[in-house]
Amino acid sequence: MDKVVLLLSVLSLGISSQPITDSQRLFSIAVSRVQHLHLLAQRLFSDFESSLQTEEQRQLNKIFLQDLCNSDYIISPIDKHETQRSSVLKLLSISYQLVDSWKFPSHSLSGGSALRNQISPKLSELKTGILLLIRANQDGAEIFSDNSALQLAPYVSYDQSLGADEPLRRTYDLLACFKKDMHKVETYLTVAKCRLSPEANCTL
Amino acid sequence: MKKVMDTALLLLLLFFTVHANRTHYRPPGKPTRARCRSPEKETFTCWWEPGSDGGLPTTYALYYRKENSDTVYECPDYHTAGENSCFFNKNDTSIWINYNITVVATNALGSTFSDPVDIDVVYIVKPNPPEKVTVTVMEDKGWPFLRVSWEPPHKADTRSGWITLIYELRVTLEGEDDWEMHLAGQQKLFNIFSLRSGGTYLVQVRCRPDHGFWSEWSSTSYIKVPDYFHREKSVWILITVFSAFIFLILTWLLHMNSHSLKHCILPPVPGPKIKGFDNQLLKNGKSEEVFHAMVVSDFPPVTTSNYEDLLVEYLEVYVPEEQKLILEESKYLHKLEGSTSDNDSGQGSLESHTLLMDKREETKEEERLTGQEGSQTGMGPQRHQKDWDEEKPYAHEDIVSPAMSSGRVKTWPSVFSPLPQYSSGPKSQLSSLKIAKQHCLSDSLFSSYNAEPGHNTKKAIGPSWEFCFSNKQPQLQAHSDVNISSIGRNQAPVFRQSPAHQSTEYVEVLRVNEEDMVLLQPVVLGSSHGKGWPPTHQVEVYSKVKEVDSDNTVLLQKEVMDEEVDRCPCEDQEVNGATESCYTSSDITTTQKPAGCSHAAMPAQDEMVLAASGYVDTATMFTLPTY
Repeated sequence: MDKVVLLLSVLSLGISSQPITDSQRLFSIAVSRVQHLHLLAQRLFSDFESSLQTEEQRQLNKIFLQDLCNSDYIISPIDKHETQRSSVLKLLSISYQLVDSWKFPSHSLSGGSALRNQISPKLSELKTGILLLIRANQDGAEIFSDNSALQLAPYVSYDQSLGADEPLRRTYDLLACFKKDMHKVETYLTVAKCRLSPEANCTL
Repeated sequence: MKKVMDTALLLLLLFFTVHANRTHYRPPGKPTRARCRSPEKETFTCWWEPGSDGGLPTTYALYYRKENSDTVYECPDYHTAGENSCFFNKNDTSIWINYNITVVATNALGSTFSDPVDIDVVYIVKPNPPEKVTVTVMEDKGWPFLRVSWEPPHKADTRSGWITLIYELRVTLEGEDDWEMHLAGQQKLFNIFSLRSGGTYLVQVRCRPDHGFWSEWSSTSYIKVPDYFHREKSVWILITVFSAFIFLILTWLLHMNSHSLKHCILPPVPGPKIKGFDNQLLKNGKSEEVFHAMVVSDFPPVTTSNYEDLLVEYLEVYVPEEQKLILEESKYLHKLEGSTSDNDSGQGSLESHTLLMDKREETKEEERLTGQEGSQTGMGPQRHQKDWDEEKPYAHEDIVSPAMSSGRVKTWPSVFSPLPQYSSGPKSQLSSLKIAKQHCLSDSLFSSYNAEPGHNTKKAIGPSWEFCFSNKQPQLQAHSDVNISSIGRNQAPVFRQSPAHQSTEYVEVLRVNEEDMVLLQPVVLGSSHGKGWPPTHQVEVYSKVKEVDSDNTVLLQKEVMDEEVDRCPCEDQEVNGATESCYTSSDITTTQKPAGCSHAAMPAQDEMVLAASGYVDTATMFTLPTY
């Protein structure tokens, strides 16, 4: 009888470890994708900034603080301590929300160059990946109470949020926000991945 | 007075105030170059450059605003990071939030604001350099390499994945300025190969977050690579020696075979080989001389040396009673032996005679014809016979005058011309043949010798008649008169006498006409005139043919001697005495070759084309050219 119990426990452990293994792989994929997106956002921003005149650049920098990104309503940890305090699942959900918030505004980003056209499809892929991760990390017991959170926040019109008339201003802000959000997702996913990995040193 | 003093005071006050204003008291200058850096994405520090202080003590303050908020906060910590800095600790640091930072300089006179700086902590990360850089020398199959290892800066939290660092290292040899860069990625280990043995290497490492700035280079690590030099060099020495050895061997081989190689690679250029062609003359540019030189050579060949081979000493024509002529060529010695025709075995000696053309043709003609016939019949089936036959139709009438316009000077008729002189008629037709033969031989002299001297020789020695008539050159032609025979028959009784006597008929060469024909005439011997023709008792006077020159002229030489000169070329064996006699007899002969009878007896006298009363010695004639 004891042996049977042992066998069962071992088996259960084996089974349970499976999703972890799978999630590790999924995490790796997700992390690499978001990293790529972040690099893309960085390049777009730097290209845009270099195309601006020096005077315009200074002005834009000044005004930037007052503008908001459309994803500001999403509450996310803003420092390391908070991030480490959050659970993996929470991190994943926040990431998902962030990616999802760019679903519509990314259309305005697209167009013009091949780089820009890549944004929307990659975002959708990332969203799918994160969803998978969420599903994988969800325990059966824990009901996804944040389903409501998953739902899109009330759609805030982009134009209203930024409230800028100048097209130059708008592009600048858009690119800056996109870059920031991508970095956030990358950070969250990386932390979550490291937390799940058995090795202490997960950067390798 | 007091007014003056008041104004003076007032002025002084004013002056001082003005002066006081002009002394360096000014509001502070603007702080510049405000920058902020975060080493681990958890805290950050800002620095600034102070401007001029305006001569008064100036204080600096840093104020910041976070995005979406208008609350102005002042820097919490001015001291931790040093002079003119502001340190934001963990609690005050928020990432993904824009900070608007302004530095204010304040002194008694006023305050000055710096330019605001917007920062996001995420993008200002500049980590500390990597720590604990260690370099060791390790060996891989005998070849050493460097292994460099390091640690991330202690503040950077790479373990939790909060910050991801990538590393880079650089290596250089001691004393050199060029660094060799290596990107190591996220690993903390790196191997460097291809080292110079015995060299000292300098290694440095730095790091960078995935979105941030490069750190400073770590402190230099020195490492000395041990000498593995010897093993490497010994191999090279061996190779060098070996190759030098091979090179020497190759050089030696090349030297030994240089000659044959030269022939192989650079074959000698064949030069022109034209007989008698002198390159030097051509180079000198004198074409005339060149051509003259060529002319001097063998062409046209005058092979005097071949004369001997070709010459026939003399011809003997034997005309038997049956009117058969036995033509044979005998050596000169034979002739000597049997000089007198009568004592010969029926063979007469054909001696060169000057044949003169006599106008007394008619009688001669008859005789000629007779003789001709006889001679002709004796010829036998020989080639020349044909020629003779061809002459038949012409001989009859033209015989008399060889110089006739018919162009067919027949020597034959002239040959027989002297016949009538000897009414006894012991004219043997031998003479004609002899003469003909002689002429044939002489003809051979200036015929195309160059063609086949040997051949000619053979022919000359053999049936010379053949050779003679085989020539195409119309030189000496002895035309036979076939009809002579018919005519001669009339004279048969005349001739019948001749066999009894077996006398030798001699003819003389009259001349060589323009048609290259030797005109002959019977010899008129003083002694024989009246006596008829007893050759046996006759003292023979011979004329020697010196030579046949290029003009197809038979050059004769008159000899005045009673003795038979033709004895001179004697065979050693038989006639020593004869030799002596030859020599003695040959007063005129200056050069004689005792050894070869066939080649001797070359009178040095001037030749005469015609010897009126002398015999033409065929033998000597042909030997003349040997001089």
